Amino acid sequence: MSDEHDHHDPAPEPSATPMAPEDAGSQALAEALRSSFAIVKFVMVALVVIFLGSGFFQVGTQEKAIILRFGKTVGQGQAALLGPGLHWSFPYPIDEVVKIPITEIQKISSTIGWFAVTPAQELSGNLPPPGPSLVPGVDGYVITADRNIIHTRATLYYQVDDPIRYVFGFTSASNTIQNALNNALLDTAAQFKVDDVLYSDVAGFQEAVQQRVSDLADGERLGITVKQCNVDSMPPRQLKDVFDQVTAARQNQNKVLDDAHSYENQTTNSAGAQASTIINEARSARARYVQSVQADAKAFSALLPNYKINPGLFRQQELVQVMGQALTNVDFKTYLPTTANGKPIELRLLLNREPPGPKTAPANP
Amino acid sequence: MKRNLITLITGAVLIVIFALLLFTFQVRQSEVAVVTTFGRITGPPCEPGLHLRWPWPVQQVYKFDGRIQNFQEKFRETLTADQISLITSIYVGWKISDPSAFLNSFKDGSVTAARSQLESLLASDNITVVGKHPLADFVNIDPKQLQFDQIQAEMEQMVQGELQTNNYGIQIEFLGIQQLGLPESVTQAVFDRMKSERNILISRAQNEGLAEAIKIKANADRQANETLANAQAEATRIEGEGVAEAAKTLPVFQENPELANFLLSIDAIKQALNQRSTLFFDDRVPPFDLFHGTLTNPPSDRP
Repeated sequence: MSDEHDHHDPAPEPSATPMAPEDAGSQALAEALRSSFAIVKFVMVALVVIFLGSGFFQVGTQEKAIILRFGKTVGQGQAALLGPGLHWSFPYPIDEVVKIPITEIQKISSTIGWFAVTPAQELSGNLPPPGPSLVPGVDGYVITADRNIIHTRATLYYQVDDPIRYVFGFTSASNTIQNALNNALLDTAAQFKVDDVLYSDVAGFQEAVQQRVSDLADGERLGITVKQCNVDSMPPRQLKDVFDQVTAARQNQNKVLDDAHSYENQTTNSAGAQASTIINEARSARARYVQSVQADAKAFSALLPNYKINPGLFRQQELVQVMGQALTNVDFKTYLPTTANGKPIELRLLLNREPPGPKTAPANP
Repeated sequence: MKRNLITLITGAVLIVIFALLLFTFQVRQSEVAVVTTFGRITGPPCEPGLHLRWPWPVQQVYKFDGRIQNFQEKFRETLTADQISLITSIYVGWKISDPSAFLNSFKDGSVTAARSQLESLLASDNITVVGKHPLADFVNIDPKQLQFDQIQAEMEQMVQGELQTNNYGIQIEFLGIQQLGLPESVTQAVFDRMKSERNILISRAQNEGLAEAIKIKANADRQANETLANAQAEATRIEGEGVAEAAKTLPVFQENPELANFLLSIDAIKQALNQRSTLFFDDRVPPFDLFHGTLTNPPSDRP
């Protein structure tokens, strides 16, 4: 305060300089020194304020922060994590703030297993033509359980679970995760057959890869949770045609089988229908027959008394009636009387009406 | 003497700061450190936090990255036990577990030197371990025979053991194979084999489909025939039932078999003459017996 007072009083103070300055020049110098001291003091105070103020920092919604005091984390485990909001720490070199993205899901892709192609080439669909063989270190691939070569790649989505381990346990946790993902692809492919990976068990393969990465991450204590794992596989481009042909042949096989099954349905159904028709016909035939026999019996019972009266006459009557009926149905009638000598007239017939053959057969009445 | 007090405080603060810089050091959470006194390692490795020290040249502090570091091998061609050439690449996670031993083993604690040491260890162990296993241990349809994990564990054990024996102060946290390939020339042979396998699958798909279809159709036909035959048998049985039922009326006809026979004959004649038919009689058959002897001028009489 006294300094400040000095500053405002331009007059020489008796206590500081008992001897009155004779020299105006030295007095001016002293004054200049005093005022520059004041500026330096002001700057120092400002610096202290700025220094302490620089300890404020903000944590976003997608991140957490850890304070390192003299290099050591403040607090243990979850207690060490600062959530979103405004926080204060001692400025450097006492405290250091480390921010870690946590809620956001991170993504990493495998580096082995796919042929040499740049993302730009893939987007444009302008792939480099496949060579006759695969060059180690350039073209990636995996070997399946049945020793086929296929391309496969995985994209892993994960979330940081234990930020302290994630950040302070590994120089590059994401590289470690990538290695684990590569290893998982390789190991899983070694247990699957080529057709399972490509066609029949795509989901199973993907699941197995994800399981393996999760296990590795747990085993290596990476401090992450695996959220999702997408796996994409294809046969080597050199063999695309022949793989496509197998697919086509299998589809055709299914079609043939479908046709056979529909034939099966149709045949058995129509046989069933036919069978029930036959049985129904038999039933109605039975009914008809029984009825007609019963009707005959009835008629018989009715006729019997008449017959008993005079069997000969009855027979004659019936016969003549039938003959009469029959003759009305007959188209034309020829009467051949007995010749004088009592022998019947010989008659020759040419039969070629209904029967199919053109044979002629003589018939004698 | 207020001014002097302020100056004194300022000076003291400056001295304290200077002294702190000289006499203390920080070890970050991710680091491990070791202190040497006149070049000799003194004291145990330092934990993260603030530590005291004598200034240079009495004591010197060596700090190392204590985190797990990645190291991945370049491709290496190795021979399996069954003499198949494999290209493998191994990755490890390693860390400096004992900074004192690490500093003793590598000049100035050079991480580069440590890496190359690790690389040569990995290379030899990779070759040794792969050479002990046939290819079937690396890839196999039967998960029980697959020894992928055992192979990795064997390598890890071997490297770990050598690191410990030599007291490098390095520790392997995990080890894995991250690439398994075949020499370029072999891939072509594999392609040829795969192609012929595919061709077999194609013809199998075709033939199997046809054979199966034929089988299904034949089976369907057989089933249909069986159904029809059963139906026929059933129909015959039903008709038999009918006959049996009709037979119950027989006693009625037995009252006068003669009349019964006569009626049956009449019925038969009725039915036989129902359609267009041609009949030949001579004049002894009634009712034409009426004509007998009545006509004497034979042919040319047409109705």
